[in-house]
Amino acid sequence: MASLEIQNVHKSFGSTKIIRDISLSVPDGAFVVLVGPSGCGKSTLLRMIAGLEDISGGTISIGERVINEVEPKHRDIAMVFQNYALYPHMTVAENMAFSLRLARRPRSEVNERVENAARILGLSDYLDRYPKQLSGGQRQRVAMGRAIVRDPQVFLFDEPLSNLDAKLRVQMRAELMELHDRLKTTMIYVTHDQVEAMTMADIIVVMRDGVVEQIGDPLTLYDRPNNVFVASFIGSPAMNMVKGTVKGQAVQTAGGTDWPVSAAAARVAAGREVIFGFRPEHLVLTEPGQGIEAKIRLFEPTGSETFIAAMVGDQPIGVLLRQRLHARVGDTIWLGLDPAQAHIFDVQTNQRIVAT
Amino acid sequence: MLKRRRLIFSLLAIAPVIAIFGYVRIFPIGEILRLSLHKWDILSKNKPFIGLANFQELLGDRLFQEALLNTSIIAFGVLLITVPLAMILAALIFYRTRSRFAGFYETTIFIPHVVSLVPAAMAWKWIFDARLGPLNALLSVFGIEPQAWLFDPTLSLISVIILCSWQALGYAVLIYLVGFKNLSKSLYEAAKLDGASGFQSFWHLSIPLLKPITLYVGVATLVSAFNVYAQVYVLASDAQGAPGRQVRVIVLDMLENTFRNYRVGYAASEAVVLLVIVLILTFIQFSLLREKGARK
Repeated sequence: MASLEIQNVHKSFGSTKIIRDISLSVPDGAFVVLVGPSGCGKSTLLRMIAGLEDISGGTISIGERVINEVEPKHRDIAMVFQNYALYPHMTVAENMAFSLRLARRPRSEVNERVENAARILGLSDYLDRYPKQLSGGQRQRVAMGRAIVRDPQVFLFDEPLSNLDAKLRVQMRAELMELHDRLKTTMIYVTHDQVEAMTMADIIVVMRDGVVEQIGDPLTLYDRPNNVFVASFIGSPAMNMVKGTVKGQAVQTAGGTDWPVSAAAARVAAGREVIFGFRPEHLVLTEPGQGIEAKIRLFEPTGSETFIAAMVGDQPIGVLLRQRLHARVGDTIWLGLDPAQAHIFDVQTNQRIVAT
Repeated sequence: MLKRRRLIFSLLAIAPVIAIFGYVRIFPIGEILRLSLHKWDILSKNKPFIGLANFQELLGDRLFQEALLNTSIIAFGVLLITVPLAMILAALIFYRTRSRFAGFYETTIFIPHVVSLVPAAMAWKWIFDARLGPLNALLSVFGIEPQAWLFDPTLSLISVIILCSWQALGYAVLIYLVGFKNLSKSLYEAAKLDGASGFQSFWHLSIPLLKPITLYVGVATLVSAFNVYAQVYVLASDAQGAPGRQVRVIVLDMLENTFRNYRVGYAASEAVVLLVIVLILTFIQFSLLREKGARK
């Protein structure tokens, strides 16, 4: 186990900058998720930690040791790949033992470690099978087993669940978290799925275009997103964003709707043009005639909750209700919002306006 | 009804191709099998059936046995040189020169495969020439005595093997390169993280993963090497200059039996033996190299 320190790291392919000045500190034993849309540089950053990509500038250290120039095999890390990268001509046991065999460990030790990892992952009955004889979830477990047997200081995961179906993904997510609890090893996990990030991470690093947009624990990111990008990326369904001007205790949109803001926010941003953000789940139904009028455009009951796509004036918004609602497309509903749960961002900089 | 009409249309559509294929590919094989059981002197109208007499005669035919031995030595020699060398060269081209020079190396290695057999063999005949050849000149630099490459029975076999391997190499490298390009990059990255050196990755991953390619290259090389003829005909003349005599191969023996001795049935039986040998070897290679995981 060890901490990981990334300082002012850059990466360019020719003149294209992929990673721009990223600094990140991962405490010992933490589960860190790098999340962001495709092409944001998260996988590249992970591969730089693994040693599969050169580092154009800055330093990466594991523990006290700078590893920029250290060979991947000497970095004491293990990585689980998106496509599992299992050796197809080797059995499960041979796949897991490969690194130990290369390191010329005694046979008894190799067997013990492989059996131990197989027991943890429930693979004991499959040790003699070949990867093509396994299901997706089992292959995923073998890939993890291959990482576990090495007992590395840091585990790296590159979108390991993206090839699994939805149900299996939820199950594997839980298994991964259990594994982390059990091993207490530092884990760095890359995904584009914000639900995975929210459910698994101790620390989430939101990235976009090679830049870190925000680092924090899941609920901080959810409750206090630094900017419009993080606000819209974290949370599902996505946060509603409305442009308007702060007038008195409200944000007034071009369509004339007044969205309520807190007194503190109104004071800080008085008269400014802002982006007003609020989550679909923070809207509540109110008595007809009170609050904000909305027209239902799409109605999606899922049993436990109801999602409504509605129009407020000419502004589309999403509403997520916990209660059952008997309504139809075209009906009018009235919505209320707790101003404390709303966010305001500067129109120009897209940064959060902090209400003190 | 519609299904039936579509089926008839499909059959009619492929019928011409099947017919041509049958006429030029299947029919000759059947004809060879039939002829091998008959006696025919190419001119006479009569082809009396003689059963397995041709094959019986083959068992005692010194010239045929010599030809069979030589051909086998050449074929296995070419196989043993071409397959590993092609794999190594393809690996070097693929991993070392990925960008700028890969095309250049690929072309350079492939050219011998497209050069006509006879001019290429003539060039090698000059290289191997005992008095004027650059090979002996090179050897003399190292103080090695000049060798009679094309006249010594063993050396002339080696010379033929070298020439045939040189010609087979380009194609084999090309096929291996396709194999390398299809290997998953992440497997090698995983191996790198697992602590494998370049050589270890090649040994533990490339060689086993390229088994299907090796199978194909092996079979193709072996089959074409068993049919060796022109190279030997040009390269290996005997002391009097009669072509092909120094290293007698099966195809030459067959040609002589057909067009010099007018024993077409007998030559056909030689062709059948060649066919059987190639089939057996192909079968052995298939069973040796079948993918482990596929067996279940």
